[in-house]
Amino acid sequence: MNSESLYQFSTLTVILLLLAFYGGTYLMTLGIRKKNEDADAFMVSNHRVGFGMGAASMTATWIWAASFYAAATSGYTYGVSGPIHYGLWGALMILFIYPFGRRFRKLAPNAHTLGELIHARHGSSSQLILALSNVLGSVISLMVNFTAAGALVSVLSPLSFQAGVIIAGFGVLLYTLWSGFRASVMTDFAQLVALMAIAIVIIPAVFFAMGGPSELVAGLDNLTVEQANLFSMDAILYQGAPFFVAVLAYAIGNQTISQRLFAVDESHIKPTFITATIGYGAIVIGLGMIGLMALTLGVEPMGGDMNNLIPQMVSGYLPPLFIALFFILVIGSLSSTADSDLSALSAIMMADVYGKNIARGKADPKRMLLVGRLTMIVATAVGIVFASFSLDILVMLVFVGALWGAIVFPVIASCFWNRVTNQAFTTSVLVAMVLFCLARFELLPMSGASGLFFEVLASIGGGVIIGLMVFGFLGRIAGFIAAALALVAMLVFATDFLRDYTVLLASLTAYGASTVVCVVMSLMSRQEDFDFATIGERVGDYDTHEPSVQEGDVATARPAV
Amino acid sequence: MNALYGFYVLIWPAITLGVLVVICRAVMRDRRKAKEEQRELV
Repeated sequence: MNSESLYQFSTLTVILLLLAFYGGTYLMTLGIRKKNEDADAFMVSNHRVGFGMGAASMTATWIWAASFYAAATSGYTYGVSGPIHYGLWGALMILFIYPFGRRFRKLAPNAHTLGELIHARHGSSSQLILALSNVLGSVISLMVNFTAAGALVSVLSPLSFQAGVIIAGFGVLLYTLWSGFRASVMTDFAQLVALMAIAIVIIPAVFFAMGGPSELVAGLDNLTVEQANLFSMDAILYQGAPFFVAVLAYAIGNQTISQRLFAVDESHIKPTFITATIGYGAIVIGLGMIGLMALTLGVEPMGGDMNNLIPQMVSGYLPPLFIALFFILVIGSLSSTADSDLSALSAIMMADVYGKNIARGKADPKRMLLVGRLTMIVATAVGIVFASFSLDILVMLVFVGALWGAIVFPVIASCFWNRVTNQAFTTSVLVAMVLFCLARFELLPMSGASGLFFEVLASIGGGVIIGLMVFGFLGRIAGFIAAALALVAMLVFATDFLRDYTVLLASLTAYGASTVVCVVMSLMSRQEDFDFATIGERVGDYDTHEPSVQEGDVATARPAV
Repeated sequence: MNALYGFYVLIWPAITLGVLVVICRAVMRDRRKAKEEQRELV
């Protein structure tokens, strides 16, 4: 099955499909729309989103169009274990953040962004570093999702790439603009149900249409030894390990996750995040299996573009109805992530920039809403322009990845250790960024003493990652032991070896350097130990709420902060 | 081998179905609870 073209919908069919999707989504938001929206609800709903809606929203947000394409590419490239090495680590990003998330929520139950918590803990410079990393991440995500829409529309219909980008941009903005996060959560549920139902049907449909288990097993002969091995070292080193390094960084650097963390009912954080982990993993690994099927059949990606693998398989083996379902699957996944990015960006501009740094405690909720909606409009325009012109964002991606790695330790330590100072936070991130650039762009020779210096820092970074993960679930002592063991193992195995893997070396250097600087500066500081109880007092709602029938809600009826 | 690989591919949509059922039931519970407490779902 190496057809040279994909099934083509007519222009009218594609427009009707898009109209049905975005029109239906918009109509759904009319059911929750209020004439006068509340600024707090626009950012985090009522802090009491239930387990079902929370888990659905978390899963839908974390699944974007690239999840399917990349999982299928991983299956096609690394064989049997490929989809797992994409989907599993992506899923664990949700799981590993939840123990820290519970701490964030405990410290600042009424926060809207993680930046607000850091502002209350340290002040503006640390908060704005975190906000900047969140903004860059969400803009990149918007651009990638709009690009995916343009690519899908252009390969399955006569419509142009730009037309797909613009329709997706306006469609998402249309239903998110008025009610913000509330609209995002509400529509996430419907989008996830559609997405899951389609995945449940499409995966077995392609599998049996291609010949089922016997055809798959027969095709295993086409695989290399590494591709046929479930424990392939290639898959671990090239796909799994880089993802593993990013597990904590992605979750900390992503406001879409923090926003849901502050929105879900506090007692439901654990089941919400566990369900989202399983849901994300199952959908993404399942769709990644289509890449494995393509590999066993000897399918060549059309035009050498791996992103064509799933459309090719669906188009080649299934009738047009399934191709239309696949179309909705991709549009649903990218729209649910894009609306979350718009909500995240608006919350950052409303709370972190306007609320904390411009209004300085005298925020006007109406003006906040205006800031939020204007942010959405500007962000959509930026996303459409970046996507339409296919701008090269590689440098931006590298920079954001490094920034996320650099802030992981300072952010987590700031929420558990009362000695971390604002100066330590800010300096550690800046030093880590400089050292990252030196390693990543090989501005210093990665040999001799300087090579060893970076390998030691990277080894510390490896210890920090393992230590933080264990600390989150098993506590401080286990975390320290795990970090020490990982550090020793890294020093033994990474010395004189890691310098050849520049990307991994630089990423780990960002973690290691920020940790060392943050710890040393905090220990040397004579600043008084911080009282964590003050965070909850400093971070509150912006609107004045009337007490609800629930006793617990009375606490939220406080004046604007 | 056929059964093993069949299981390996089909277990993921099966888990997805399980999660879908869990989420849908939970959302119905959320709706009921929100109605009882006279507040909005989101």
